Amino acid sequence: MADKPDPERPHPHSSERVAAHSSERPPTHSSERAPAREEVEIDEKVRAAYRQPSAADEPARARLLARLAAAEPRRTGWRWWLAADAFRARPVWVAAAFVAVLAGGAWLGARFTARHENDVVSLTRSSEEAGTAPVTFVLRAPGATRVSVVGDFNNWDANATPMAHSGSGDMWVLNVRLPRGVHMYSFVLDGSEWRPDPSAPLAADGSFGGHNSVIVVDGAPGL
Amino acid sequence: MRRVLGIALALALASSARAGDAASDQARLEARLGPDVGRQVGALVDDARAAGLPTDPLIARAFEGASRGADAAGIVNGVRRQSGAQLAARGALGAGSQPDEIVAGASALLAGVPADSLARLRLARPGGNLVIPLVVLCDLVARGVPADAASVAVVTAARAGATDGALLRIRERIHSGIENGGAPAGTAGDVVRQWLHESPGGKASKQQQRGREPEPQRKKAP
Repeated sequence: MADKPDPERPHPHSSERVAAHSSERPPTHSSERAPAREEVEIDEKVRAAYRQPSAADEPARARLLARLAAAEPRRTGWRWWLAADAFRARPVWVAAAFVAVLAGGAWLGARFTARHENDVVSLTRSSEEAGTAPVTFVLRAPGATRVSVVGDFNNWDANATPMAHSGSGDMWVLNVRLPRGVHMYSFVLDGSEWRPDPSAPLAADGSFGGHNSVIVVDGAPGL
Repeated sequence: MRRVLGIALALALASSARAGDAASDQARLEARLGPDVGRQVGALVDDARAAGLPTDPLIARAFEGASRGADAAGIVNGVRRQSGAQLAARGALGAGSQPDEIVAGASALLAGVPADSLARLRLARPGGNLVIPLVVLCDLVARGVPADAASVAVVTAARAGATDGALLRIRERIHSGIENGGAPAGTAGDVVRQWLHESPGGKASKQQQRGREPEPQRKKAP
């Protein structure tokens, strides 16, 4: 323990070295004169001291590291993101992470696209199944021998959708399925008389001389 | 790469499908109306398609004219009026309006409803579908209620939270009142005032219009 140097105190060989260089004698150069034997010995001692491995003082090293760590401000929160040396990583791990992110993105993209394709298919199917709704047209038309419904759903063709006479009364009935949405229609009696539905809202006169009726399929009850 | 090609193929198919629709519409128009009228109407339909307006109502309007025996000029004029009304309806209702709203709004405009009434209706029911309010508005005007009075009635009811069903019941009551000899304008105003008085939402709205807070509903004791 006695030969273990105290780091707080100057190195014994260092003081010797300082003493060698702080000699009161003026500096001399080898070109001027040959070094004295005494000086050569001192130099040899200094060199030997530097060649000697210094004994490690582990507690001192730990204290020094602790001081350095305490002196450096801790980067927390947003400072961590701005720090130039926030983390270190081996290139192989960076490359592996990059490949993993790429693979994950490709997998998510493929899954998202597939889900949308499925949505389109299911929407198409549902619209095929539920794109229409049943509608019943009823008209009381005394004296008429032929009644049909014309509208935007049958190209306003008076021969396309005839109504059925209901028994012995004056009622004419038609059950059809119509696409959802707003439809304009009218009744045609005996092929020539156009008549709007008295139980339905009226549409504007479409500049052909006569109102049509409006039906909103699946829009609201009562229409 | 394969996916990009798939998207490009889908776009090409959609574009060709649209072109196919246009060709199909043109063929239908010319078959029903003749080549000359068919071409004129087809040009109007193409313009509407380019403007993003519904085109089926235009074709239907042309077919209606043919079925009603209108001449060539009348058919083309009718389609042109319908197209212009749809454009004005979309402008009044907003660019994000549904096709059914545009069709119903066009009908209301053709009936004589001012365009600003459509805009006020949109403000009265923001985010809600306006097909039924517009149908009711058009119906009231077609039955003789002055356009201003009909607009005030429907907008007031919609602003007070009237549902589609409530609007249809209001329409029936106005219709009944007119059939029983009531003046159309007065009947429309009376019916809406009565609805405001009777309906819970209408009471609240009426009180808010007067600047008072609605009375809190009392809970029944258990």
